[in-house]
Amino acid sequence: MEASVRPTVMRYQATLALGLLGLAVIVAMVAFLSMTVGARAIPLDMVWTALTAFDPDSTDHRIIWDLRLPRTLIGLLVGAALGLSGAVLQGATRNPLADTSILGIHAGAAVFVVMGITLFGITQLSIYVWLAFAGAGVAMFVVYGIASIGREGATPVKLALVGAAMTAALTSVVSAVLLMSPTTFDQLRFWQVGSLAGRDMAVLMQVLPFLLAGIVLALATARMLDGLSLGEDVARSLGQNVKISRAIAGLAAVILAGSATAAAGPIAFVGLTVPHVARAVTGPNYRWILPYSMLLAPILLLGADIIGRVVAPPGEVQVGIVTAAIGAPFFIALVRRRKLATL
Amino acid sequence: MQHRTLLAAAMAAAVALSSAAHAQSWSYTDDSGQTVTLDEVPTRIVASADAAAGLIPLGIRPVGIYADSAVADSKPLQGLDLAGIEIVGQAWGEIDIEKVAALEPDIVIAEYWPLDDAWSGGPGVTGAESPLRALAPITGPTVGDSILALVEDYEDLATSLGADLSEPQVAADKAAFEEARAAFEEAVAAKPGLTVLAVWAGADALYVAAPAGASELVDFERWGLDIITPEVADDRGYFETLSWEQADKYQPDLILVDNRSATTLETALAQPTWTTIKAAQAGAVAEWPAYWLRNYGAYAGELEKLTAAISAADENLTD
Repeated sequence: MEASVRPTVMRYQATLALGLLGLAVIVAMVAFLSMTVGARAIPLDMVWTALTAFDPDSTDHRIIWDLRLPRTLIGLLVGAALGLSGAVLQGATRNPLADTSILGIHAGAAVFVVMGITLFGITQLSIYVWLAFAGAGVAMFVVYGIASIGREGATPVKLALVGAAMTAALTSVVSAVLLMSPTTFDQLRFWQVGSLAGRDMAVLMQVLPFLLAGIVLALATARMLDGLSLGEDVARSLGQNVKISRAIAGLAAVILAGSATAAAGPIAFVGLTVPHVARAVTGPNYRWILPYSMLLAPILLLGADIIGRVVAPPGEVQVGIVTAAIGAPFFIALVRRRKLATL
Repeated sequence: MQHRTLLAAAMAAAVALSSAAHAQSWSYTDDSGQTVTLDEVPTRIVASADAAAGLIPLGIRPVGIYADSAVADSKPLQGLDLAGIEIVGQAWGEIDIEKVAALEPDIVIAEYWPLDDAWSGGPGVTGAESPLRALAPITGPTVGDSILALVEDYEDLATSLGADLSEPQVAADKAAFEEARAAFEEAVAAKPGLTVLAVWAGADALYVAAPAGASELVDFERWGLDIITPEVADDRGYFETLSWEQADKYQPDLILVDNRSATTLETALAQPTWTTIKAAQAGAVAEWPAYWLRNYGAYAGELEKLTAAISAADENLTD
């Protein structure tokens, strides 16, 4: 199999590398836009002065440093994390609809945050981060644990089923708590939609080590995912330990999705859509799908955030709403345009 | 003030009928046009938290209260003696109907919200088909464009229920309010250039209140306070939403922050651009008793705090 895959990849390798470079340039452009476009009109030269000669008394300068810079950095990192976690999850579970929501990660994070608010009266975002992270980890661990019961271990179908069941169960807990406590609902509403606004550098710093570790780990799973994509039997016959591969990929995904959810709330569609776009460009090789997803996702996420900032002046639309609004039709178009590469 | 006229008529009717020695009948006509008539003056009352906050200080103690939140977090009930009163609801839209039934209420006193055409607690609790209506009739005053008028409605209602408004504590509360209001008007008159902004702060945005949507803000305006009206209020007409990048869109001399929850001010203070509002930078921040005032005592306390803030504010801060 390796021999038949290689030449195809070789043929496209130069093009794909070039494409990756192009994406990196687009990411830089979107980041630039994110620094310059917002609910408040700040001229370009003012953005430049803010970055080079910061004046703490200037409102515009403070908006650039305190609002747009953290927002841009969080958007880039959370985007990369969502794209990568989606790609890794789809590869590890061989499920084209795998997303951070399918393994109960969003629901787990939401349950912990809701419990934190109702039982302990926590309202600071900085503590939501840890609750969300812990919830994501616990949910993933439980889902994986239940799916592992039985001789075949955590197969894609079992993971997807357990994940869906867990999501349903946890979501009902969240709904129950929210129905009992409208105050909690008010506080959670903002977090639950998913937003890049109102997150400062402290939030970024809290999740940064996890995000970076997750990105490195996820990129390192490319070879295993390629093996898994050939089917368990082939992977095993190639000398791969399927269980360990899945565990490592799962760990990478939970670290990424957990910290992304912690930082920005559960943002849907990015993790689901982006890997399919990447796959449509690169073909089935995870050594390309992963870096492409990693660069495509921040473009979608930050792009959506920028749109959200300007469509409803003087307010803003939260990024989770925009990604769902532009992500869904895009996804449908993608599915209709061509048969999705099978996993 | 149509509802007050109706109410006066209802009162007159009640008084007229009360001359009969036994079986005093009681009736009350609310703003939705419904008249509740009972054979006797009701004594076993189940009240919404807001209605309880209106009645308890006047000496009318309900047997049960349903609140929109945990009682400990309920701003209107704050500081009231609730000993012996059964709590039959602690979330909006919910009521423990079995507990209410066990209380054998004569009447449920709630508030009518004309904009929503709904009673306190929402349709599930007080709607036409709600089980609560099967236990007792629901009536009460209307939340209009003045808290003062609402408190006066509660005075009339409480009187019809047998309250004696000349009780020392009741009279003292009213006197304290009159004094606080006079001081407020005086402080406002002394600062003719003062502008005020009422806000609720969230992590996602700053919400600027439209004074017309909040009865107490309309009262303040009536008493001379110049409250900034936001350009674009939302479809319900309560708030304009400002991105934190736009937080300095309005520059008042004094900011009032919604005090229903202490976390609102904390959230505001945590925003990097909060201090782009000059008043915030100058520390000219006071509390907005948003939507929850229902009695003279609480109103007096809040007015005193506001008067102090207005006296301390610089009316030329943003001129």
